[in-house]
Amino acid sequence: MGMFGILDISAAGMDVQQARLEAAAANLANAQTTGQAGAVYQPLTVIVHSILGKHNGVASSDSLSAEALPRPAVSGTAQLDVPPRLVYDPGHPDADARGFVTMPGVDPISSMLDLISISRSYEANLRAFDVTRTLMQRTLDMGSHR
Amino acid sequence: MSSIVSAPEFAALSRALDVASLRQAVHTANIANADVPDYQRLEVTFDEQVQRIADELDPEGVAEIPAGARVIKSADETVRLDKEMALMAKDAAQYQTLLSAFERSIGLLQMAIKEGREG
Repeated sequence: MGMFGILDISAAGMDVQQARLEAAAANLANAQTTGQAGAVYQPLTVIVHSILGKHNGVASSDSLSAEALPRPAVSGTAQLDVPPRLVYDPGHPDADARGFVTMPGVDPISSMLDLISISRSYEANLRAFDVTRTLMQRTLDMGSHR
Repeated sequence: MSSIVSAPEFAALSRALDVASLRQAVHTANIANADVPDYQRLEVTFDEQVQRIADELDPEGVAEIPAGARVIKSADETVRLDKEMALMAKDAAQYQTLLSAFERSIGLLQMAIKEGREG
């Protein structure tokens, strides 16, 4: 089986983490935006599925290529169904009749935890990429030191 | 007598390298899919096959034994990233050990070709 295909799996993993990072960053960046009720920013989440290989993840090495192993892919972004936060700020131009301003229901703590998990997963994929590359390089160097 | 380049250690080593790179591919897939809901961890089973090859190791027999390594769904269903990284490091070391063994075998061949002379 080709080792180049293994690098593709790591690349797919990093791609997914990149998409999750974009969503988390957008949520944090828009946390303080205001709007009239209904028009406020809705926090985003990324939906990730595994694309299963030809063999549904079960195969023998005779027929197996890296293309047959499952790899993650972003199947879309969705808006989280969370209620907006109401902040009492009567002087604000977007305040409603009772003096409340509507802000997105972004939970800063869980967003920060998401960032940590994204960063850890990205690093793990990068490490796997590095190991594969090192093994490929050593294989190519085989027998050339004499 | 079998040819020196089709020596049994070359067949066995290249088969073992195939499996080692399959292991690397499976670790990579596990790490990449670690966050996906419902993903089932995969693993390679090979060890009983190694035993079979070791049992039947003879110049003619090795080439006929099927590679036989299989990717199966693991008993522990979810991927634990730290454990997966540790296993990947272990299997990468094993891959490099196999490469070293390969290089030694090639070195022996080259020594024979040069009739033991230096350089």
